[in-house]
Amino acid sequence: MNSTATLSSGNRTASSGDALDLVLRIGLLPILMAIVIVGTSLMSPYFLGWMNIVNILRMASFLAIIACGQALVIIAGGFDLSVGAVVALASVVTAKAMAAAASAIGGPDIVAIVIGIGAGLGSGLAVGLFNGICVSRLKVSGFVVTLGTMSATAGIGLLLTNGIPVYGMPKAFVQAIGRSQFLGFPLAIYIALAVILVMVFVQRRTLFGRYVYAIGGNLDAAVVSGVSIRPHLVGTYVVSGGLAALVGILLTALVGSGQASLGGDAMMLQSIAAAVIGGVSLRGGIGRVEIVAVAALFLTILGNALNLLHIDSRIQPIFLGLIMVLAVALDEFSRRRTSRV
Amino acid sequence: MSDANLTATTRSADLDGKTRDRRAFDRSFGQQWLRKLALPIALVALLAGFALADDRILTSYNLLNIAQQTSYLALFAMAQMVVILTRGFDLSLGPTVSMVSVGAALAMAGMGGGEAGGLVVVTAALAAGLALAVACGLFNGVVVALLGVSPLVATLGSMNIAIGVATTISDGRPVQGVPSAFSQVFYTGSLLGLPIAIVIALVVGVALAFVLSRTVFGRSLYIIGTNPQAAAVAGIPVKRLLVYAYLLCSALAALGALMMTARTGSGEPNLGGTLSLQSIAAAVVGGTSLAGGRGGVATAVLGALFITILSNGMNLTRIDGYVQMIVLGAIVILGVVLDRLRLSAR
Amino acid sequence: MTSADITRTTTPNTAEPLLVLSGVTKRFPGVLALDGVDLDVKAGELHVLFGENGAGKSTLINVIAGTFPPTSGSFRFGGEEMSELTPHEARAIGISPVFQEFSLVPSLTVEENLFLGREKSAAGVLDAGGMRKRARELIGELGFDLYPKARVDSLDRAHQQMAEIAKALLGNVKLLILDEPTASLTERETGRLFELIAKLKTDGVGIIYVSHRMREIRALADRVTVLRDGRHIKTLDAATVTDGELVELMTGRKIDVLFPTIAHDPGETAIEVHDLSTADGLVKGVDFVARAGEITGIAGLVGCGKSELVRAIYGIAPIASGSVALRGKLLDRLDPRTSLRRGVAYFPANRGVEGLALSRPIRENVSMAALDLSRYQRGGVIRRAAERALIGPIMETLKLRPPNIERAVGDLSGGNRQKVMLGRAMARDLDIFLFDEPSVGIDVGAKVEVYEFIKRLVEQGAAVVVVSSELPEVLALSNRLYVMHHGRIAALLEGAAKTEQNVLSSFFEEESREKAA
Repeated sequence: MNSTATLSSGNRTASSGDALDLVLRIGLLPILMAIVIVGTSLMSPYFLGWMNIVNILRMASFLAIIACGQALVIIAGGFDLSVGAVVALASVVTAKAMAAAASAIGGPDIVAIVIGIGAGLGSGLAVGLFNGICVSRLKVSGFVVTLGTMSATAGIGLLLTNGIPVYGMPKAFVQAIGRSQFLGFPLAIYIALAVILVMVFVQRRTLFGRYVYAIGGNLDAAVVSGVSIRPHLVGTYVVSGGLAALVGILLTALVGSGQASLGGDAMMLQSIAAAVIGGVSLRGGIGRVEIVAVAALFLTILGNALNLLHIDSRIQPIFLGLIMVLAVALDEFSRRRTSRV
Repeated sequence: MSDANLTATTRSADLDGKTRDRRAFDRSFGQQWLRKLALPIALVALLAGFALADDRILTSYNLLNIAQQTSYLALFAMAQMVVILTRGFDLSLGPTVSMVSVGAALAMAGMGGGEAGGLVVVTAALAAGLALAVACGLFNGVVVALLGVSPLVATLGSMNIAIGVATTISDGRPVQGVPSAFSQVFYTGSLLGLPIAIVIALVVGVALAFVLSRTVFGRSLYIIGTNPQAAAVAGIPVKRLLVYAYLLCSALAALGALMMTARTGSGEPNLGGTLSLQSIAAAVVGGTSLAGGRGGVATAVLGALFITILSNGMNLTRIDGYVQMIVLGAIVILGVVLDRLRLSAR
Repeated sequence: MTSADITRTTTPNTAEPLLVLSGVTKRFPGVLALDGVDLDVKAGELHVLFGENGAGKSTLINVIAGTFPPTSGSFRFGGEEMSELTPHEARAIGISPVFQEFSLVPSLTVEENLFLGREKSAAGVLDAGGMRKRARELIGELGFDLYPKARVDSLDRAHQQMAEIAKALLGNVKLLILDEPTASLTERETGRLFELIAKLKTDGVGIIYVSHRMREIRALADRVTVLRDGRHIKTLDAATVTDGELVELMTGRKIDVLFPTIAHDPGETAIEVHDLSTADGLVKGVDFVARAGEITGIAGLVGCGKSELVRAIYGIAPIASGSVALRGKLLDRLDPRTSLRRGVAYFPANRGVEGLALSRPIRENVSMAALDLSRYQRGGVIRRAAERALIGPIMETLKLRPPNIERAVGDLSGGNRQKVMLGRAMARDLDIFLFDEPSVGIDVGAKVEVYEFIKRLVEQGAAVVVVSSELPEVLALSNRLYVMHHGRIAALLEGAAKTEQNVLSSFFEEESREKAA
């Protein structure tokens, strides 16, 4: 830092702030992670087994993809409660479209698969677009708008299926996307890595990423500097909806049927928890997807560890709630301790 | 003239002028009344519409039924409204209802169910329910007010915790053994010919209206919601009152939970279900502003009435339950749109 | 610094000045902020805007920067009529404003802020290397002590000011607007800025410069335009005008008419602060005394810690160490509620943010800080009739116009809002009053009423502390004057020593002391 003692009007030198920041924000996640991994591997021999590790990574992939979108929305100063419902909707839409296409066309499976995936992604993007337009037009917190779309989207998913799983997708879909492996790891892990890498690039190196930070960090400054707000706000919700739909499709391929019960509130809560634990500030403007992805991995490991240790799955939400509140409280605490600008 | 004559900018004062600009727009009484009457008119139109579709809607039996159903949602909407007034939210309201329901049922079962005296049973239920609600409200209030966590995350957290507690203590199953004495007090009883649920909602509504408009506590809630910093500078104990607001919210939710438990006759771990969403929808549609400082008992009750009539009508005209979810979502968004229009019209 | 690096300015049509405003009027409801103002700025000229707070300077530069359009009048720039100008378009055609409220995103780095809204990119991908290079060049040319990768929220106010100026100079600047740019800069940085300004002028950049500092006007200005009450008073040649002339034009009256003569009668010690430091580090080891029956002033630059000192005394700014005693009694806890009970009132500088609940009626805003008293409530239930009967007469004596206490405060003018704050202090019995920038954002007439109010308080024996960035104001009002600099007390001036010259020299002494240390 270059601020010299004579220039600073207070004693808030940058270095001490950064150090505290490091301990408080970066510190929480590795510490918790180390405790959980070491503790569980001592208590359960299955924990570090190959099957269990692959399983953890697969489940973490789903959460990480959704959390990346959620993080982007929160960085821009919003909230997306509809992601869980979008997972369900995309699953149902994908399965219905694919099954319908397969029976109507009858030709090669690939056509039906592409149509199904296209429809599923399209449904997620549409919900995201709707969220984004409502939020940017109404200039209200995304929270309530997406609370509304969450209910409506879940309703549409249930309405389409009457709550019954949708079968009839080509076997190739399930085999190619749901069950295929590469170098011993399922496809979902590679897709998640690709999504994370692309998102890191978007955040660091593109105009869109830069403007998302600016809009969340100081909306007025962004406006005065000539940043167009609406398209970028809409963009964050569209990305979030699209990524949630991607997870819906991957889960559909994994379970082999379209289900309106996939995703849901649990997934939505976990995505917010991952973003918050991963250092995304609810005040906007701060957060990096790679750390959010690590937080998603942590939450998955935690859930897995609790299962292996035979801790009642009903108690697990309590841990999630406490950790989430703790993470935000620490963030607030560090913000108060460091400079007030 | 001075060399060090540094002045804080007057730009903010100038920009204040712009807001005044907009406010001057509609001083006319006509518009104000129209805004106030919009929802009642919509209610009447809704009733009329359903009545045309189905002649069972306007029977006195169904109207009483609507009033009774409304009293539950009205309680929850009032609870939610109290925290929304302070720029807050309570997403844990639904799970709190579930938690109180199973907690109270377990307490009553623990007292030996119907064998103990009615008074003992009801006291046990009240004590257990209130204790759980106080714990939840205290958690929310402390985390929001003292730790400075946004109400959203705080109550999202406590929502998870309440769900966990509700399913854990009940083992995920309904808790049986709710004695008739309890149902008598909170469901089947009546006063002056009115079902007890309506009586309770009326009493709570009148009391809350008095608290909000006539007491220092109520006045302070409005000021905190309008400008929390100014409230703090004026010596209003903002943090303490915020904790009270969350406590009051949870306590009202607990009362509603006991009433619903009496109605179903068992402690249900999923009783709260969509109540967080419904209560927010009711409060917002009724005109409680999410920006804080605007709203009251009337807005909460009208909103609850609107949503109840809508779902009652949809039930009677056999509209699918899933469609009702979609409609509820649409109403929440509509409520925000209306709130926005109201604010920008000022 | 090489010639056309900072700006690539083409001199516009020489027949017409760069900027020509004629008859520009800006009306806010209830306020005529600008009333037919004429202003022209030539390329290569530095044009000073001079006037009191509320004279319309800020409104005028906001109109020029495209923040809001004028209600009427003609606005020509570079020979073309401008209408419906947005801030973005204004920047694009070369109008670069540097406001006092920064347009920086705290969570981004200096470099990212410099290019915000006009990043170098190809197909949506940022050219990070190119921008870094350009940012380094620019900061080097400006000679600012700025690290391009530093996050803005880690910088102090002076460095943020530098970043803001650098941001304004990136790109094609034809008209630079500087709103009190030296307010938080040190002597050395100020000198650097002046060199830069001279250089920009030779490059043909027109500059609008808002300042109250005579020394700067002497050093920099080509012409001076005086504004008063939203009207253009006179445009003068800086070389020929005298200081006295400018001040007279600005105030439109003798200064001693504006400030009342106050009979100070110092009594016992009301506030005694010992070795106080605040948690945010803006106040460092301050000793301070205020007595009953006199006005104690605190002067200093923006960000010197003077408001934090009174805020700490009132209990809003957390204290790290030191002690505060009221009437000789050491306090163990400080918060607004207990301060009010002990008879201390605080009037915040930003009334919209910290003072008033705008959508609530005047009555509630006035009684807000006194609801714990039994005159207003009994057992927590508000006595509404009593409240109305008490608040009405208070606002009557403060000459609230119109005298309707049920109106929302948001509908009131700046002066009336300040009256609501004064009324709040009258709603309970208080004898220590802390004023933070009491005359910011209110017109001259309202200022006089505020000063009269303060005068009455002191003459009734109250202890009054006035914190102000307006040096004439604190000089005229206070009996004893503390000067603060970088969080410390630089001087305590009394009687004949209480002059502008001494206030200024104490800044420099303190600065050289700091350098020596």
